[in-house]
Amino acid sequence: MRKNEKRILAAAAALALAFGAAPNVSAMHIMEGYLPGGFCVAWGVLCLPFLAAGFFSIRRALEQRRNLITLLAMSGAFIFVISSLKIPSVSGSCSHMTGTGLGAILFGPSAVSILGLIVLLFQALLLAHGGLTTIGANTFSMAIAGPFVSWGIYRLCQKTKLNRRASIFLAAALGDFCTYCVTSLQMALAHHEDATIGGAFAEFLAVFAPTQLPLAVIEGILTVLIVMGLETYAKPELRAIGFLKEAK
Amino acid sequence: MIAIDQLCYHSKLRYENPGEKFAFAGITLCICVISRTIEVSSVVLAAAGILTVWKGGVPVSRYLRFLTVPLAFLLLSSLAIFLRVKEAPLDLFALPLGRWYLTASRDSLAYVARLVFTAMGSVSCLYFLSFTTPMPDLLEVLARLHCPALLRELMLLIYRFIFILLRTASAIATSQRCRLGNKDYRTSLKSFGLLGSALMIRAVARSGRLYDAMEARCYDGRIRVLSESRPPRKSVIAWIAVFDTALFFFALWRKFCG
Repeated sequence: MRKNEKRILAAAAALALAFGAAPNVSAMHIMEGYLPGGFCVAWGVLCLPFLAAGFFSIRRALEQRRNLITLLAMSGAFIFVISSLKIPSVSGSCSHMTGTGLGAILFGPSAVSILGLIVLLFQALLLAHGGLTTIGANTFSMAIAGPFVSWGIYRLCQKTKLNRRASIFLAAALGDFCTYCVTSLQMALAHHEDATIGGAFAEFLAVFAPTQLPLAVIEGILTVLIVMGLETYAKPELRAIGFLKEAK
Repeated sequence: MIAIDQLCYHSKLRYENPGEKFAFAGITLCICVISRTIEVSSVVLAAAGILTVWKGGVPVSRYLRFLTVPLAFLLLSSLAIFLRVKEAPLDLFALPLGRWYLTASRDSLAYVARLVFTAMGSVSCLYFLSFTTPMPDLLEVLARLHCPALLRELMLLIYRFIFILLRTASAIATSQRCRLGNKDYRTSLKSFGLLGSALMIRAVARSGRLYDAMEARCYDGRIRVLSESRPPRKSVIAWIAVFDTALFFFALWRKFCG
């Protein structure tokens, strides 16, 4: 464990140094007013089935065990707080996790879709990250696409009996990566003035790559560290949120 | 702890009816986003900015600093729209890179300018709402809009818990700094991991105790919060209606005749 931890940290430091300084970035929230009206509505509608599924699953869970509501709310607040904390970066600039990959691994993707929607609303209103008209697009990329990919990869890795830490790392990092791709695609669809959609997509990917790729790697590493810490110190709590149940 | 939250409780418009503020911000935002012209966005930016700073009493310097929050995103994404790598140079400028050119056209410059103005106009609407309206008031508006009770309940609880967890997190971070927990990059990564897991453990433990406390006080699935705002005033509603109608026709005019 100790040795493994050290190895992970060394890899992290090396990677971070290799990628160099990242400027001031948060996760890629599309800002207020950036998407035309039609796209705002379209992405919002696309989110609805997922949100409805999440809503009903939460309601069913609460009907059985009413005391889950504080746990759910704490989980939402946890995602908000973990994504608003500055994560360590080499150059002293500030960047943030998305936290949704971690949420998907711990609480399952359908609950995270609803919690993610609320967290995104709070981020827009309290931190000025993201916006009200773009909340549909942001929900789709951060609270639906990212978490579902994270969770899918995590389950897949469990099926194939991959190393536990590697699977958590892959889930979180690729979930973050997927969020970044989906956001780029959303912006390319809306703003591809004289280029093709594919060309615009590539440009958005290229422009945000220097900030988002290291972020995905760091997010993966931090998620591994957090889950490892939880497994060491908080078995009963993890059982309470149904995490270890499915792991065994 | 969260600057916007503190500012909105101190705003001079805090006790205005939240429905009025929500309607103003929402309708203006929609007009701004749909019209997407520089003129309309400038009017919106000016109106919402003046209302927030002058009527709301937010310090100008802080307001301006908040307007710079989305600039990093704006800059990067504008670059992506603006710059092209092509074999033939475009009309604005072109930097040769071997056989290719890093180039941009006048049209795309105009497009980006319009986009930047629209975005800043909309951000000012969002700021008007968040700098004048505390979250519990907004939940009241959401109740009027028939947002499901379960969602509102979750939002209220999450809103409260955010501050509890932020305080815990900052205490943990302080004590980590005292013990040189950030002395180099590897230690700070490790510290952040520990912080995250400790925070989660605290959150889960706390949520259990909180539920017990709420149950002891007859929690039945609803938390009732006293409304602290005034009833809507006719004159304010009239002003909002006049402004937004005028803005709407201005936008129509710019769109089709301008």
